[in-house]
Amino acid sequence: MTYFIQQMLNGVCWGSILAMLGAGYTMTFGIIGLVNFAHGEIFMAGAFAAYFALHVAGLPFGVAAVLGILGAIAIGLLVERIAFRPVRGSGMITLFITSFAASIGIRTLFVMLFTDRAKPFSMPAFLKGAYLIGDLFIFKKTIAVVIVLVVVGALLMYLVKKTKTGIAMRAMSYDSETAQSMGINTEKIIIITFIIASALAGVAAIMWGVSYGRIRSSMGMMPVVDAFIASVIGGLGNVFGAIVGGLILGIGETLFVAYLPPELIGLRTLFVWIVLFIIIIVKPSGLFRANVK
Amino acid sequence: MSTELLLELSEVTAGYGKMPVLHGVSIKCHRGEIVTLLGANGVGKTTTLRTILGQLKPRDGEIKFNGADITRLPPHKTAALGVAHSPEGRNIFGNLTVIENLRAGAHLLKTRKELKEHLDRVYSMFPRLKERRTQIAGSLSGGEQQMLAMGRALMSNPRLMLLDEPSLGLAPQLVKLVADTLTEVNRTGTSVLLVEQNARLALEISRYGYVMEKGAIALEGNAKELGANEQVKKVYLGIA
Repeated sequence: MTYFIQQMLNGVCWGSILAMLGAGYTMTFGIIGLVNFAHGEIFMAGAFAAYFALHVAGLPFGVAAVLGILGAIAIGLLVERIAFRPVRGSGMITLFITSFAASIGIRTLFVMLFTDRAKPFSMPAFLKGAYLIGDLFIFKKTIAVVIVLVVVGALLMYLVKKTKTGIAMRAMSYDSETAQSMGINTEKIIIITFIIASALAGVAAIMWGVSYGRIRSSMGMMPVVDAFIASVIGGLGNVFGAIVGGLILGIGETLFVAYLPPELIGLRTLFVWIVLFIIIIVKPSGLFRANVK
Repeated sequence: MSTELLLELSEVTAGYGKMPVLHGVSIKCHRGEIVTLLGANGVGKTTTLRTILGQLKPRDGEIKFNGADITRLPPHKTAALGVAHSPEGRNIFGNLTVIENLRAGAHLLKTRKELKEHLDRVYSMFPRLKERRTQIAGSLSGGEQQMLAMGRALMSNPRLMLLDEPSLGLAPQLVKLVADTLTEVNRTGTSVLLVEQNARLALEISRYGYVMEKGAIALEGNAKELGANEQVKKVYLGIA
């Protein structure tokens, strides 16, 4: 039992990263119908911005975290400008291809400039260490990541459910033309959606740095697939669903590996696909109603 | 009644792709009026409204609203000038609750106080919407959806409301509610451009009317005169 709970706690950080990435994913999909494959590179760019602030400029952790989020937003807006706006309204396949191209382009550029070697991402002192409760180790960084997830998740839900902008986003996701005739500036809503989704990727990037202590140019490749599956599990377009889906996937994957015989650990990535197939067969619309967010 | 010009279409030509639909349509609506646009299916009534809104860019002609040229304005800017739309088939946001639909309609309002004021006004016009305010709009009945579409358009306190087929598919007592509400809305200062198949209802509450045929205005006049016109009687009112 202790082993089980300990492993769950270990999975929480990974789950929170997937939750933040999945929430951003699901927003761009739900509101503008874009499956943004470059989301992983937006995430990676955020991690690099924070890394440079922390290790090159020597700025304090809090400032570096903010700069990481801003870096992610900058790359997110760039993706919107070059890979989405010129082809807006031209169908899912085109958007799929342009965002895929943006993903490869940005990743390759980073590999060229900074190689794909891991770079250290050192944790601030206040996040180091752990509490020992009974036989359980609870890391301070895990507590911090969970607090950030809850606060950011709550803010996001409030924004989407209660504010004027959130209502405009959801109205637009249902019927863009009618939303426009209410005076809703859909161009502006698209930009806001990209900013929020990218900021969430930035938050995920900081969580990643704190959890694993290193970053690299190709770090966005795998999480983005898992995060996409997390948002499918939660019902594409449903922010709350994506957060729950991310946690299920992250914790589930960690437990899966924990109970696998050591020689089969290579099957780790199989887990998300098993979950995806179960969801697609049992409840293809996801756990929560989509299109409502 | 004031006769200040609110909306003026002069010789507007518009269409979809290569297909022209409107061939030089000219319509005037004065402040405080209810003006009706009659015509059979497919003559361009909805296209006319879409062109005014800016959802469709005209090829030729000019549209003026409240003195300003709105010919090529995008829809959200036209809306900001005070033009609201209650579309044919209602187009309510089926994923939102009733109150969220109304709040979407109030997007242009600046303050919470205004929002509350207009919400109360719409609720008093359609008490049913208040009862159903937390219900998902997609699960409303057809009549309730029509009330919601009208209520949503009124939330912005528009100068002009474009109303497309409000009586379509409604039970007779609901048609009467729609007509009464329009008269009431008009009394509180909103002008209305009404597209309606139910010509009897439309001419009853309007001051002026246009009859469209094949993308052009075929006939126009005071509602009373139109109602007495032999051709209108025969074709649109079903009186031989």
